[in-house]
This record gives sequence, C-alpha cells and structure tokens, in this order.
Amino acid sequence: MITTAIDRGLSADLAEDLAAAAFTLAKRFAAGATMWSIAPGSEPHALHIAVEFVHPVIMGKRALPAVALTGADLVDQVRVSVRPGDIVVAVSGADDPHVRSVMRRAPAWGATTIWIGSGVRPRGGFKASPADHVLWLDDPDPRVPATGGFVLLYHLLWELTHVCFEHSGLLKPEAAEEICVTCSDEVRLGEVVAYSDPGANGHAPGTARVRTACGVETVATTLVDPVAPGELVLLQAGVAISRLGEEADR
Amino acid sequence: MTGEPTNFLYPFIDAQESDSGPLLADLAASARAKAAESVALRRSTLDANADLLSRAAAEMARRFAAGGRLFTFGNGGSCTDATTLAGLFARPPGGDALPAWSLTADQAILTALGNDVGFELVFARQLIARAAAGDVAIAMSTSGTSPNLLAGLAEARQRGLYTVGFAGYDGGAFADSPNVDACFVVRSQSVHRIQESQALLGYQLWLAVHERLGGKDVGAA
Repeated sequence: MITTAIDRGLSADLAEDLAAAAFTLAKRFAAGATMWSIAPGSEPHALHIAVEFVHPVIMGKRALPAVALTGADLVDQVRVSVRPGDIVVAVSGADDPHVRSVMRRAPAWGATTIWIGSGVRPRGGFKASPADHVLWLDDPDPRVPATGGFVLLYHLLWELTHVCFEHSGLLKPEAAEEICVTCSDEVRLGEVVAYSDPGANGHAPGTARVRTACGVETVATTLVDPVAPGELVLLQAGVAISRLGEEADR
Repeated sequence: MTGEPTNFLYPFIDAQESDSGPLLADLAASARAKAAESVALRRSTLDANADLLSRAAAEMARRFAAGGRLFTFGNGGSCTDATTLAGLFARPPGGDALPAWSLTADQAILTALGNDVGFELVFARQLIARAAAGDVAIAMSTSGTSPNLLAGLAEARQRGLYTVGFAGYDGGAFADSPNVDACFVVRSQSVHRIQESQALLGYQLWLAVHERLGGKDVGAA
C-alpha cells in the first residue's frame, strides 16, 4: 500500500506559507481584487479553486470573485484578464512554461502570485522568489497531483482566507502593501506593449509603451533598443535600463 | 466597535487590530490541525473501504479488460475531482491509458441538456447516448443526494453499467440505492475533508485496477 500519500501531513514551514498566502489573499480581496486560477495539465484544479471561492460550501461565507482560465494561449488570457492588485494562483510543476511565463510577467501586471505544486521547486525570477507565495509539496512522485494533496492545500487556503475576514482591522487598505511602486529610484519590471520606431510618425524616437504595476506608461528605450511587444524590461526613473532575457530565470 | 463589554474575550476580533503576528500564528496552527484531521480521515476511510475497493477494482478491471469504458460525473468541486479521476485513467502518470471521460467536459452538451430537458438529466442523457453494458459509471458527491447524479446512476444501472458512488456524511441516498453497486462513504461532516479523502480513494481505485489488470507497474507513491 502507499503510505506517503496518506500520511502526507503539513510541515511547519508549509503551514506558515499557507498562513501568509491566506492573509495576502484576504487583504487583496478586501481591496477589490479578482483571483485568476490556472493549472495547465491539471485544469480541474483551476476550476475547483474558482468554484471554492465563488460558491462556498459553508453557508453564509461570502462569495469572492474568482475565475478559472483554461485552454490555449494561457499567458495571453491572463495578460488581458488581470488588473493591478489582482491575484493569480497557479497549480503546476516548476517547469511548466506557461506558468513560468505568467509568474515572470506578473510583477509587470501588478498581480500578486501564488504557486502551488510538487516535486522540484521553482527558482526565482525578477524577484528573489518565483512567486509571492510558493506552496510546495516536496514529493517527487508525479502522481501527487491526483492523490488529493493539492485539494487539501487550496481547501486550507480558502478556509484560512475566511478566518482573516474576521479580522477587519488587519485588512484595511493602509495595512495592505503597496502594489504600485511610484518611487522613481526603484527598479521596476515592465512588459513592452508597443515599440515606437525612432522617428516614426507621431512618436518620440526611442520610446515604447510599457505596462507596469502602475499602468501603461511611455519610457525611453534607447539603452535597450530594439524591443518587441511582450518583452520584459527593467525600468528606472522612466528609462528602460535593461532587458530581462529568457535566461534570467533559468 | 470596541465598546462591547465582552470584547476582552475576543482580543483579535477587533476592527482596531493592527498586529498580524497573532493571526498568522493562529492560521498556521489551524492549517496544521486541519491537515492532521484530513490525514486521520484519509487513513480511516481507506481502512473502512478496503474490501469494497478491492471488489470494485476487480469488477472495473474485468470490464476494462473486456473493452469497457469509464464515465465520471459530479457537481461543483466534486465535478472537478471526477474530472481529475477520469484524467488519471485516461492520461495516467504511469501505466497504460484506459478509456475514461468526465461528463462535464463539454459545455455545449451540458448547457443544451440543462436548457432543453433540465439539469436533473444532464448526465443521464449523455449516458443514454454514449454508454453500453460493460461500461463503468462513477458519480462523485459529498451529500450523496444530488438528483442529477441519482438519475445518472439509475440510467447507468439500467443499461448494464457497473455503478460506483462516492459520498460523504452517512452516504445519503447513494448508500441504500439499488442503482449503486459500490458506494464509498467518507464519514465526515466537512465537505472539504470529504473531498480530500475521496481524491485519495479515487487514486487508490485507479491503482488497484491496474494491479488487477496485471499490466506494467505504475509504481508506488
């Protein structure tokens, strides 16, 4: 008989990670966020997460805006869906290319991220951590996703988030961390929306429209030209100072 | 507000609360307690259902070997767990793939049936169109009382399918329905804990079917 799948408890570290993730979720929801769930390869998990939050199994618990995104072009779907302050929760292994891409881009979209998975842990991206919250089962067995381990994690996430709602004082907007960093000295992540050719009609030369956590802004790109839509750039004081290559998170 | 005379009993349930430390500690402790509860329930559920699981796996393996196919269905979170189970059979992480589908996968069929004949028949009507004697039907539920699942199981039974029900609480209507050949009951009052145990039961059922089929080793978790 298998025993690890049955006896897989919750380590103290994972319990703390869950607590922190639930507290973040509650703060974001209190501030008006929508939660977007994705799970390429095991899409029922994305659907289960959304229905859990939208239609709670416990009577009287409030319905929260949660939507599962499934199917093709997942990165494009998330890009057009998220607004600054929203949450993206992904269920996948560390090497899923769609989730990796979403996680890399999320800081430019102003989205808070939660990554649920098992096996080898994902590594960092623009930030030190690959996601704002990593909820990971360090079990290499590829069948972990089907044994209920993930179901337990997102059930707990829902249960703990609703406990947080009983602590309204901690969910006030001023208590929530700032999504849009306006300090011009801070290095921020941006995703190129459209590039303006130098001297092209009606555009300033060497600039691009770039999406950041603060919205879409026009930045100077002379240090990194040429840039293409979808590319990630690091911004400082209104200038794109470098490109974040594909290798940056490998 | 803070003026309630009993507020000293609930120091953390307070709109003026500002230190998140105690809440985070409470949340982590709660997570561990609930996870421990989940583990205990999973263990007792497997023990209580061991014989039934063995019999159901033998019958399912016999049917798969003879060309039978599996249809799974459920509502809400149970629908997603039923889809995960069908995926485990059809696109397994190890071992041979077996023909299995979730009856909630096609929105066009689901909404067409729901709109035209009623939600109670969304699964039964699909089984009429697709299923044959020799196949297997698995309905996943926490209450064991959903009318569309009971209608699906009745239709399946009538057509000669082997019918399996997953339920929680005391088994609901699944427990003593003549249309349910094998009824797995997770004896808990919590929908969440029930679903966690059902996921493991489904996984064990898949594992046991492969053991009976005697195919390639699917490995041990």
